[in-house]
Amino acid sequence: MSTVEARAGAEIVTGGPGGPAGPGAARAAVPRDAGRRVRGNTWRLLGSEVGLTFRRPRNLVMLAVLALVPAVIGVVLRTVSAGGAEGDAGAIIGAVAGNGMLLAFVSLFVLVPLLLPVAVAVVAGDAIAGEASLGTLRYLLAAPAGRTRLLAVKYVNAVVFGLAATAVVAASALVTGFALFPIGPVTLLSGSTIPVAEGMLRVLIAVAYVGAGMAALSALALAVSTLTEAPIGAIAGTVVFVILTQVLSTIPQLAVIEPYLLTSYLPRFDGALRDPVATEEMTRGLLAFAAHIAVCGSFAWARFHSRDVTS
Amino acid sequence: MPTYTRRGRIVRWGVPIAAVAVVAGAVTAGPVIAAVQGDPVLPERSAGQLLAEAVRAGQSGDVPPMSGTVVETASLGIPGLPEVTGDTGSPAALLAGSHEARVWYGDAGRVRVALPGRMSETNLIVNGDQAWLWESAGNRATRIKLPEGHAGARPTPLPSVVTPQEAATRMLAGAEEHSAVSVTNTERVANRPSYQLVLTPKDDRSLVSEIKLALDGETFVPLRFQVYAKGSLEPAFEVGYTSVTFSPPAPENFTFTPPAGAKVEEQTLGADAKRVPGGLTEEGRGEVRTVGSGWTTVVVLPAPDADTLRRQASQAQAPSSAPSSDPSPGQGEAGQAGQGEAGAGQLVAAVLDSAERVQGEWGSGRLLRTKLVTALLTDDGRLLAGAVRPEVLYEAAGRK
Amino acid sequence: MSTAKPGETPLLAGDRGTVGTAVPARSRGTGLDEVRGTSEGASPPSPPAQDCSIVTRGLTKRFRGGQVAVDDLHLAVPRGSVFGFLGPNGSGKTTTIRMLLGLVTPTSGGCEVLGEELPGGLGAALPRVGAVVEGPAFYPYLSGAANLRRFDAADPAADRRTAPDRIGAALDRVGLSAAAGKRYRAYSLGMRQRLAIAAALLRPRDLLILDEPTNGLDPQGTREVRALVREIAADGTTVFVSSHLLAEVEQMCTHIAVMRTGRLVAQGPLAELRGGAAPRIRIETPDAARAAAVLGRLGLAAVRAGEGEASAEPGEVPTERICAELVGDGVAVRGLAVQRPSLEDVFVRLTGEGFDVDG
Ligand SMILES: Nc1ncnc2c1ncn2[C@@H]1O[C@H](COP(=O)(O)OP(=O)(O)O)[C@@H](O)[C@H]1O
Ligand SMILES: [Mg+2]
Repeated sequence: MSTVEARAGAEIVTGGPGGPAGPGAARAAVPRDAGRRVRGNTWRLLGSEVGLTFRRPRNLVMLAVLALVPAVIGVVLRTVSAGGAEGDAGAIIGAVAGNGMLLAFVSLFVLVPLLLPVAVAVVAGDAIAGEASLGTLRYLLAAPAGRTRLLAVKYVNAVVFGLAATAVVAASALVTGFALFPIGPVTLLSGSTIPVAEGMLRVLIAVAYVGAGMAALSALALAVSTLTEAPIGAIAGTVVFVILTQVLSTIPQLAVIEPYLLTSYLPRFDGALRDPVATEEMTRGLLAFAAHIAVCGSFAWARFHSRDVTS
Repeated sequence: MPTYTRRGRIVRWGVPIAAVAVVAGAVTAGPVIAAVQGDPVLPERSAGQLLAEAVRAGQSGDVPPMSGTVVETASLGIPGLPEVTGDTGSPAALLAGSHEARVWYGDAGRVRVALPGRMSETNLIVNGDQAWLWESAGNRATRIKLPEGHAGARPTPLPSVVTPQEAATRMLAGAEEHSAVSVTNTERVANRPSYQLVLTPKDDRSLVSEIKLALDGETFVPLRFQVYAKGSLEPAFEVGYTSVTFSPPAPENFTFTPPAGAKVEEQTLGADAKRVPGGLTEEGRGEVRTVGSGWTTVVVLPAPDADTLRRQASQAQAPSSAPSSDPSPGQGEAGQAGQGEAGAGQLVAAVLDSAERVQGEWGSGRLLRTKLVTALLTDDGRLLAGAVRPEVLYEAAGRK
Repeated sequence: MSTAKPGETPLLAGDRGTVGTAVPARSRGTGLDEVRGTSEGASPPSPPAQDCSIVTRGLTKRFRGGQVAVDDLHLAVPRGSVFGFLGPNGSGKTTTIRMLLGLVTPTSGGCEVLGEELPGGLGAALPRVGAVVEGPAFYPYLSGAANLRRFDAADPAADRRTAPDRIGAALDRVGLSAAAGKRYRAYSLGMRQRLAIAAALLRPRDLLILDEPTNGLDPQGTREVRALVREIAADGTTVFVSSHLLAEVEQMCTHIAVMRTGRLVAQGPLAELRGGAAPRIRIETPDAARAAAVLGRLGLAAVRAGEGEASAEPGEVPTERICAELVGDGVAVRGLAVQRPSLEDVFVRLTGEGFDVDG
């Protein structure tokens, strides 16, 4: 036995110096347009990723639920008098009866605190952890998808899904609103009235803003996703964060942390319903989202690159 | 042989660390920029000159057209407050936390103040002799008639958000008599170079350690007002612009047409402004007197005893769900009046629960201490309050 | 553990010379001669690194928790060889393969795959490597073909236009064409294993890494995989195949390396490793002592006489001559056999132990 070991060692020692000569000869096989190919094929990978996300029954069910909520709110508002609505938002909920377009904002108001983040967390939290738990992560990386490339594609996919989910809510709300309620000039929160076309623009602004918020949440979920091999853990972790931060922000003693919480900025889409549009407030929100994306995104990147894939 | 180095790992983790550093840097950029730009940027002025300029700017009515965001922050440290600050419409809410208002100022006759809420907004729009109060939460527009001869005068904005101009004007009256006044010319408020007046009470029995007033270096418009309590680095109360633009706001800001479907009401200013929230009703008014002078002034007013107060407070809470019959804009509350009253009632109850029982030569009562204000409710039916140490109140209570 | 029956396959029956001639494709540029030289006792050069598809130098992996899965591994896999990577369960085979694919970062040491130093050369090397690592893993809700499309999309060097043809060909090669449209969820274990091999064959590869490719396959499936490996190797692809089954490796490999608790125990051309253990001639006879005397007279080494049998290493003495001498001396020869050692025997000789699960 000892002789065999010694022999193996001897081979290596003599084999070592030959190393540097190797790469040049082998590299010739790499196609010359490799750079362009990689970029083109990153779109292909993104297409595959998006296709997978939007064909997956679980995700389709979530989108369907998100689309159903505005319809249900619409039907309820149509059949039940809105007089009982309470709180600051009560009036705007009541106002849907007068203008169906407002249903888009009311639906976002209802879904932004929990349901929309849950849908996004399911997709973004699943991104790395889900592949790891299936074992497909090792085959993707061996393909080789490239860690940075795969992470970027996963993130863009989650952003696309978040935007799509938000758009689905708005679209479903608009369809329901148009079907059940009168449509006309929109009364803003500030009391001024704008034409229908501008109202549609305001809906788009709100959707874009919430979509950006979901992009920030995706970055967080992606970071959590690189920490575990259990997708449920990543999803639950993100959802718990969303709930916890909202609970914390209602505690006055903790008011100081509110400006640093992602969830304090999500409801600010109502800036689109003010006159003039609350650009200052919404810009602050977008900056907060960008900060979250930068921190969580770079954390996810560093973590994913250092991670041993042993699943 | 190039291999998997420890360095590679460190470089990788350097990226998120750098991201955190950049974000933290951006968050604290305000103070940093202020520190970097700490050199005197404005010509030196004495406190007297500055006060004069400020009073001129505030009173002559030629404040330049401007718009901006005002943030009011209070951390008065009132015990028992947390439970009642849930709804933003309550006056109690303004005693803790942070509140924001957008202000558009065209000229003395054209002002708009908007208080954004979650999916709601309260607006006061003044245009000449017309004023509108729009509350989206109630889908209600109130046309406010200004009393004769009032047209063109500066209206009182919502009292719940004190504009810097107003806070300054109040403070400037007789400031120098009781205070050490100093001026700095290196402040930066709402990203504008500013002067800052610092008033330090001469009497050390005051709870106030400092009052700071920042004035815009160019227009002398007050930009920020801060009250510091003793033993606290953060201001106990602060109201100031976080952003400001000195250019005429769009004229649409000052026009208001009640939207279709809104409740429209009429109100004449001054007709319904007598009530004080929280059950301290008219019966107690009239005999308000003050003891002492300057920073240690104590306000003494007759008050029902604690049990009566508590009872009144709970009564005020009960009907809060009933629709408010008089939306008293004169009272100036941002939210619905009913809600505000309920909040105040809760506040009284909560505050009374946390008050400390005290007694002395002057009698006995309950003492309430906050960072900035001390109040004493005596068992013989007097309420003493001031920005002073408790001893000053006891002394005042002894002087019947 | 299974024991390879000597002489079962042509590979085993052959001496060193026949290994070379039986699979001529594999000896192209493998540096086989140099490697073989090492068994002669001197320390002749191992194949130069540029002639190797895989070279590892002191590769070590210590997992968090202190478990040393791979310890100072020096491998040299000649280009064009079918390299059997042997070791009991838990001996560090999969961990080594993960390091070769850049999935796991070595604690120390380095490796070179297809001439590219890792980790820098991963992007250049991996498109030319097909791999099956620790069994198949696919999206259960996708069909076999859709799964292959997915992994083809992940390869930045793959051409999307030729994807349908390549996927069809890969499925055809592993005999899955008929099940291409079926959901992976509905695949049997054997079909899954085949799909994993198909994924590794999506593009022409220079190196194929197969981690226990016959796990879960029935004997028929095992034979098919062996045939497939030979076919692929005949195209000039280096095949690095790990297994805990000695018999399987014996039947398809030109070279082997043996792992034991993370350490390399032996490596080299198969024939040579087996050659290290000399064949024995065994005579079944009632007069063992007399037989032993004859064997000794003939100059045979390691003569042993036991109960009803005598044995020795025949060396250069032809079997027929030994037989004639025995019979001539009047020894009652009831049976006579020349036994070549199996890989198992080699392994036992190297490690002094059986081939069981490592901790
Ligand atoms: N992620 C891990 N963490 C800790 N120990 C591990 C991990 N993966 C494998 N090991 C250990 O490393 C050793 C080698 O495992 P492996 O490479 O899978 O062996 P083989 O593939 O030869 O069966 C085993 O003892 C195993 O327990
Ligand atoms: Mg294994």
